[in-house]
Amino acid sequence: MDVGHVASDPGAPASRRRASVKVTLVLVLLYLFLVGVGLLECGIGHLGSGFTDSLFHGVHNPIVGLLVGILATVLVQSSSATTSTIVGLVAAGVLSVSDAVPMVMGANIGTTVTNTIVSLAHLRQSREFELAFSAATMHDFFNLLAVAILLPLELTTHLLSTLARDVAQLLSGGASGGTFDSPIKGAVGWGVGRVETTLEAIAGHATAMGVLALLTGLLLVFVTLTFITKNMRALVANRIERTLNAALRRSGTVGILVGTVVTMAVQSSSITTSMLIPLVASGILVLRNAYPITLGANVGTTITALLAALATGEVDALTIAVTHTLFNIGAIAIIYPSTRLRYLPVTMAEKLAAMALRRKPLALTYTLGVFVVMPLLGILILR
Amino acid sequence: MVFEFFRSSGRSTLQEVEDRLAQMVRDGRAVYDAAMSAVFGGGASKKTKKEVKGTDRGINEAQQEVRKALVLHASVAAPIDVPETLVYMSVVKDAERIGDYAKNIYDLAKYGADFTSAPDLEELEAYRDRVGRLIDEAVAVFEARDISRAKELINTADALLDEYDDHVKAAFASTGPASDAVARALFYRFLKRITAHVMNLMTSIVFPIDRLDYYDEAKDDRMP
Repeated sequence: MDVGHVASDPGAPASRRRASVKVTLVLVLLYLFLVGVGLLECGIGHLGSGFTDSLFHGVHNPIVGLLVGILATVLVQSSSATTSTIVGLVAAGVLSVSDAVPMVMGANIGTTVTNTIVSLAHLRQSREFELAFSAATMHDFFNLLAVAILLPLELTTHLLSTLARDVAQLLSGGASGGTFDSPIKGAVGWGVGRVETTLEAIAGHATAMGVLALLTGLLLVFVTLTFITKNMRALVANRIERTLNAALRRSGTVGILVGTVVTMAVQSSSITTSMLIPLVASGILVLRNAYPITLGANVGTTITALLAALATGEVDALTIAVTHTLFNIGAIAIIYPSTRLRYLPVTMAEKLAAMALRRKPLALTYTLGVFVVMPLLGILILR
Repeated sequence: MVFEFFRSSGRSTLQEVEDRLAQMVRDGRAVYDAAMSAVFGGGASKKTKKEVKGTDRGINEAQQEVRKALVLHASVAAPIDVPETLVYMSVVKDAERIGDYAKNIYDLAKYGADFTSAPDLEELEAYRDRVGRLIDEAVAVFEARDISRAKELINTADALLDEYDDHVKAAFASTGPASDAVARALFYRFLKRITAHVMNLMTSIVFPIDRLDYYDEAKDDRMP
């Protein structure tokens, strides 16, 4: 929809200055985010293998790994933060690629909690709530279906991780060993070194140093990602509006591409999918046109972990980041072309929403049950 | 479509909405002119009917597009734009109603109203021209976001509201043919509504959001 003619804007120079400041800020935040990932790797190195082995005891069970991924992402409400942390842990060698795969799949499920919570805000308006809850939970059902298909496939054939390793080796210039030369790693290494020196001066011994570096790394990852997302959203809001506006009446591949591009820009699938909820609730965007955009968001969100992996210079870290991307692309490639499977998540979401409309407490029970109670109980029982 | 993301546009959504609102009022003015030509001698010809209906349909579509754009903007943009978004959600209704009431004036011609041989033709024509100028000025003021001119325009228009009421009362007391009295009462009533909606458009520049539509109320009923 074009809502007007283009005219000269006297406020344009000030607006451009603000945009330049925001771009610079995002670049600084991005650098600090990569330093955060580097600090995770550094902190783990100081803690020693005994401590880290006990910390990750249990995640060798893929179901526990999956549930840990769900729960961790629900807690931080960002799959980018979880997957980047996983990338850092894989780079540090405390998590193997095979243990990390179910965890990134869990992160995919956990990230959908944000838009489900957003949809609950429409509880008082029945029709709006039904649409909003459908829009939110179709993402849940798609991701659950993707895990139901691809996790057993990965566990039995290692198809995703093998393919991802090939891609990672290709991306790392054919590195056959555990590491590759990354210009990003060199630049980030300088920042990590400065922080490390400062922390060493504060901490008395290796374990304290490890804990401090780990906590600083985690803090940097979460805080910088929050502000990157916030600034990028403000920076590209106008572009997102134009793109979504153009996609309102379109479905299919275009929607997937729109979701991918928008999510890559804001570095958060939760932001993209949460923006769709009021549009669907108000009837401006129909559920079936919103669906491919959420699938694209799954792919777009993997860019953050890929970036983090490139900064580690570790092939394994790149492998797990690529696995995350391939998992999401693979899920679309399997589910979307099939006429029987394509709209199964949408149909399931509509049925759940219709049930929740009749018994509204069901919406809250579902959200807490799927995202908190079941993962928590599962971890406690299976660990 | 995806390339839309990479295309540079110097205009924000709210600026584009402002442009669209101004265009809606201009289109309303076109409907007004066509309707006035019908009641002042032109009659309800097929050509005028097509022009009035077509332009009004365009205004209605524009209203829907603006509302969609505002909901999309509210979903995507930062909360800092919330007041403007809500103001424009309200103002778009006023922009649409100008064309709507102008169409109602055209309907008077359709029902047989013709002011060409009216004894008070000069006065009727004077009101026609004053309201026409009011709409034109309102568009210019809205586009320039000129607060002082908006206040002046509100005062000018507010005085007109009382005059319309006097004419409606006079139509009630009229002993002439009922068709003349009804035509006049409705004509002034529609001019009053057009004027009130133009004033509401101006209040979006001058007043805080809670005082929008202030001039929809009669003077005695207005909140302080």
